[in-house]
Amino acid sequence: MADSRDEPLVLGIETSCDETGVGVVRGTTLLADAVASSVDEHARFGGVVPEVASRAHLEAMVPTIDRALKEAGVSARDLDGIAVTAGPGLAGALLVGVSAAKAYAYALGKPLYGVNHLASHICVDQLEHGALPEPTMALLVSGGHSSLLLSTDITSDVRPLGATIDDAAGEAFDKIARVLNLGFPGGPVIDRYAREGDPNAIAFPRGLTGPRDAAYDFSFSGLKTAVARWIEAKRAAGEEVPVRDVSASFQEAVVDVLTRKAVRACKDEGVDHLMIGGGVAANSRLRALAQERCEAAGIRLRVPRPKLCTDNGAMVAALGAEMVARNRAASDWDLSADSSLPVTEPHVPGQGHPHGHPHGHDHVHEVSKENLYS
Amino acid sequence: MRELGRRLAKLLRAGDLVMLSGELGAGKTTLTRGLGEGLGVRGAVTSPTFVIARVHPSLGDGPPLVHVDAYRLSGGLDEMEDLDLDVSLSDSVIVVEWGEGKVEELTEDRLRLRIDRAVGDTADEVRHVTVTGLGERWATADVSVLAG
Repeated sequence: MADSRDEPLVLGIETSCDETGVGVVRGTTLLADAVASSVDEHARFGGVVPEVASRAHLEAMVPTIDRALKEAGVSARDLDGIAVTAGPGLAGALLVGVSAAKAYAYALGKPLYGVNHLASHICVDQLEHGALPEPTMALLVSGGHSSLLLSTDITSDVRPLGATIDDAAGEAFDKIARVLNLGFPGGPVIDRYAREGDPNAIAFPRGLTGPRDAAYDFSFSGLKTAVARWIEAKRAAGEEVPVRDVSASFQEAVVDVLTRKAVRACKDEGVDHLMIGGGVAANSRLRALAQERCEAAGIRLRVPRPKLCTDNGAMVAALGAEMVARNRAASDWDLSADSSLPVTEPHVPGQGHPHGHPHGHDHVHEVSKENLYS
Repeated sequence: MRELGRRLAKLLRAGDLVMLSGELGAGKTTLTRGLGEGLGVRGAVTSPTFVIARVHPSLGDGPPLVHVDAYRLSGGLDEMEDLDLDVSLSDSVIVVEWGEGKVEELTEDRLRLRIDRAVGDTADEVRHVTVTGLGERWATADVSVLAG
């Protein structure tokens, strides 16, 4: 117990899209993971307006922070730092989280850590499977991202090996669900139908898998078009669309390419661990095929539980705790939200506080020695 | 599509609104990618569906490209301010996918491109593009350069 008490206690705030997430972790131990579905399913179905999402974050922010602290059974005064997603994401939505994090950090006299949303998606696995192996190969797949990333140190070195050149994997699921009239979001419902379908019923194309194609980039736009056309032809012929087979065959095409490229990247780079994160990591077929192919290649697969794969505050807290543990410089008070923060920047250190500066934090909150919150 | 986008870049200037329509997979994002190359803007032009809108700043001194997918927007956009973008629209080239009935109020002047692809399970990769210029801005503009 004494040991774990020495680990950094960090609160993390995530508002990059339409979930307001607040998590509390101590080192690599999850204490609380509060998520306010700021935009309910009904509203999501009708669509999302960024300005509306920002307002919803604003309303949910303080109650969600209070809930997370209560759930964790800790006092805000005991925190060692406040971490927040600084980007990438929706500009206005990010701004709400960043502003809240600054206000709490300043009032409490705690260091502030602006961190990268994608690096957080990787680091969250520490809460599930313990410290990340170094290096770690990560496949991040969600509605907004599809990337292969190699990290030797999640707080300072994340290298993009490849990414989608058109649609994200999760987006392809949403769009095909739209064509099949299955509703939004498309991932879970296609997963469900696919379980009763034949993944080999229809040979849909595997994008960017030719010998001269970029080895680690993805493309799902051509697949999307091929599936849409196949469905159109069935409908035009007055035939019934076999939803289960289309779902299974489409899903197979997506997860085949994702897992094939991820395993290849591991082999090429000599990495024996693969972590999969992001909302699409909840897909049952992706998990199964990744497991099968990783086992065959002697690679250890790490996939966090679904609730930690989708956007949440715990992942931000996990990366924040790692920043504290590794003595990374805190962010300045003028930290801004950056909707296109590059994946190569795991966090946004303050100016004039080099990485690893042992007293980085102290400088940053000199202005707030008084604890205004208590 | 990509080449058409590059040619389109030569016609456009700050403040212009381009509306793209066409089936899923018609090539709207591909055309926009060519447009981005033609305008010389930063970043890979990928689908903006998830983030609704993405801003690509110019690498030179040209206008930034604002790429919008209006599909998930629930109602009309009375004001583009609702998108929370940190650029001025009158200084940008704006491309909107799935914007019919949603963004017309933004400006009288707009260039409409409708991309038609063969429907059904076919190897027919030909796309037909119908270009319509609306408003004063396009009344006298020569869009024939798009035909190459």
